[in-house]
Amino acid sequence: MTESQKTYHSEEVKTDKQVILEINDLHKSFGDNHVLNGFNMKLFKGESLVIMGKSGSGKSVMIKCMVGLMTPDKGRVNIMGKSILDLGQAELDQLRADIGFLFQGSALYDSMTVRENLEFPLRRHMDRFDSDLNTEELVIEALENVGLADTVDLMPSELSGGMQRRVALARTLILRPKIILYDEPTSGLDPITAKEIIILMQNIQEKYGTSSIIITHDVDCARVVGDRMILLIDGINYKAGHFKELSLSEDPKIKAFFKQ
Amino acid sequence: MNSFSFKLKTFFLEIGELSLFAGRFFKELFKRPFEYSEFLRQCYLVGNKSIVLVGLTGFIIGLVLTLQTRPTLAEFGAVSWMPSMVGISIVREIGPMITALVCAGKIGSGIGAELGSMRVTEQIDAMEVSGTNPFKFLVVTRILAVTMMLPILIIFGDAIALYGSYIIENLKGNVSFQLFFNQVFDALEFGDILPATIKSFFFGFAIGLVGCFKGYFCKKGTAGVGKAANSAVVYTSILLFILDFIAVFVADIFYEL
Amino acid sequence: MERSSGHKIRLGIFVILGTIIFVSAIYLIGQRQEMFRKTYLIEAYFQNINGLQKGNNVRYSGIDIGTINDIVMVNDTSIRVIMRIDEKIISHLKTNAIATIGSDGLVGNMILNIVPGKGDARMIQDGDTIETFSKIGADDILSTLGASSENAAILTSDLLKITDAMINGEGTLALFLNDTTMSKDIKKSVNNLKNASYSATRSLNELNNIISNFTTNQNSVLGVLLNDSISGQKLKSVAVNLEKSSTEIDTMLSRINKVVSDIETGEGAINYLVHDTTLVYSLRQTIENVNEGTAKFNENMDALKNNFLLRGYFKKQERQLKKEERKANKDKE
Repeated sequence: MTESQKTYHSEEVKTDKQVILEINDLHKSFGDNHVLNGFNMKLFKGESLVIMGKSGSGKSVMIKCMVGLMTPDKGRVNIMGKSILDLGQAELDQLRADIGFLFQGSALYDSMTVRENLEFPLRRHMDRFDSDLNTEELVIEALENVGLADTVDLMPSELSGGMQRRVALARTLILRPKIILYDEPTSGLDPITAKEIIILMQNIQEKYGTSSIIITHDVDCARVVGDRMILLIDGINYKAGHFKELSLSEDPKIKAFFKQ
Repeated sequence: MNSFSFKLKTFFLEIGELSLFAGRFFKELFKRPFEYSEFLRQCYLVGNKSIVLVGLTGFIIGLVLTLQTRPTLAEFGAVSWMPSMVGISIVREIGPMITALVCAGKIGSGIGAELGSMRVTEQIDAMEVSGTNPFKFLVVTRILAVTMMLPILIIFGDAIALYGSYIIENLKGNVSFQLFFNQVFDALEFGDILPATIKSFFFGFAIGLVGCFKGYFCKKGTAGVGKAANSAVVYTSILLFILDFIAVFVADIFYEL
Repeated sequence: MERSSGHKIRLGIFVILGTIIFVSAIYLIGQRQEMFRKTYLIEAYFQNINGLQKGNNVRYSGIDIGTINDIVMVNDTSIRVIMRIDEKIISHLKTNAIATIGSDGLVGNMILNIVPGKGDARMIQDGDTIETFSKIGADDILSTLGASSENAAILTSDLLKITDAMINGEGTLALFLNDTTMSKDIKKSVNNLKNASYSATRSLNELNNIISNFTTNQNSVLGVLLNDSISGQKLKSVAVNLEKSSTEIDTMLSRINKVVSDIETGEGAINYLVHDTTLVYSLRQTIENVNEGTAKFNENMDALKNNFLLRGYFKKQERQLKKEERKANKDKE
């Protein structure tokens, strides 16, 4: 695992690895606004995939299509061998427990305390754990992972933006997902806090060996956290490759990303 | 002309979506699991949030109604009819309608803004991906809570309004507490209370439904939240008057039978 | 799961239309509940409908059984009123039922009352006509009676004045020096009284005839109304009392007559002086009796007037009388 993070790989090397998530020919439009025009991607087990794109390029739409929050107009999404568009509600809920989703604005339930926030995913999914574990232990463990065990009785509004993001991450982790989808994990945070979050993400990757998809337009984040990246331009997977390859590309559309 | 047909289209679209939303509510209502503790929490919130406001407005309406009507009745020498007249008009129409309108402002906009902001900050999506049906957890419990709580609030508001009326009668006409309420309850029939109570369940449903609908399908951004809260109140008020109109029509038929 | 906006718009239109249809259906049901019931149309002819309107209720023995469907002017004296009657009630209605117009409470709407007729008759059918009762006929008889009794009252008060003058006046002797004029006055008054009494008796006989006619001929319209109700009984007893009073007046009048002729035949003042006191007293007593009698008569007359059936027409009569008086006064001036 550590090896795959440290050394660079080409597509060929990865192919023998297990594909855990696959998207084929994804189309989605809102009225006349065609956001996705045939997007394809594969996520291999244990890797961190960065998807970069401009604001409004359909990154969030795509990630929501992955977990069934949005229904694509056309295309297929396969997660761990299951086509999520064909699943019933109960099966979909079971599958979703294997997928962590960190929302752009943390999306903590602001009428609940941090403890209740973390307990919320457990309400329906306690059967995933050994019977000797209780919710309290799981909550504390998840909070310790993000270093915020002492905030358990606070309300989300009493936390800073960075802390909120970390609590949200703890909530994402509490079900011990196999895949984590990060939607702009560093957006709205100052560079230092963003860095903390990125380090946290790496730690989690190491500790639990999850696969992750990181959606961002933050170049620093993409460089540090990603094994591989896909550029999402004009609604398609414009170019895939490693950060270094892409950052050296002469294509003007790609160059625009790394100019910052 | 073009903009008119467009407006008409959006109007019908809105009604259609609202109907689908209501249909979905009834479909999800009977599906397990029922979010019982959340329902109770919402009942507590809805009742607790509005009881002071409902009491205050009810009290003032009782005072004003009595003060306004008294001179007219005095002219006919029919002041002794005051308790029965006030009792019937409050229980049949004024109490339910005023309380429902106040609650539309208080609860309806509250639900609209709360669900709207939850939608905008993706909390609803977060619930969905964590295996809890947000429609059941947020919408069904809220609509049900308002439907159940509003009749209680209305009865409470009626009682306070009658008390307000009694105070004026006591000050101006030296009517005793016992006499006033004896006359009020003498004048009231089952046919007055039952339609008003049934009606108030519908009022509660309308407030919850429109508030949740507007919040649940809130447009992105903070402007969307404001608009959701605002239009929840406006649409609910209109819907309340339409419902009241229909309810009076229907009750009238049963009253005649 | 997602539905197209076209679908939603259609649903919206459907919901709105459904609501409108629902409300209008309720409105129609509320407006005329007999819409879904089978109804019959029956007719009645009136001279005067006292402001009855389309949609007013029709009552049969106090039960609402239908509404006025239409009111048509047939000619200058008759108005056809068409009623829509509930099917359930129609099986209890016979062709001899009588329609009257009344009002529902003090300030209420006009209503059409149907009173069941006496005796056997064919069951009513769709399109049948029923009889009506108009109170004008009965009233004419009773108004003449009223006038007679009033006349009697005026005359007796005249007589009283004269006798009062006799007793308290300028002494009996002085008075009776003017013998002739005095006795003439008395005689005239008494004659008038007699006339009045005759006309009263005549009216009474007429009334009696009518009343006995009611009792014997039960199918007569007024007969049914009178026979059927308590007020009819009252009316009869009032008439009997009237008759009694009237005969009393008659006997008294003959006594006065005798006294007056005594005065005349007894050769004036001297003879009179002998009988002075007793005569005047007896005269006075007689007249007082007459007065009492007319008072009783008037009382009975009032009772008759207060009878609900005839109240309105007496009032009208009074008004007419006043009007004429006023006119007469004006003419005099």
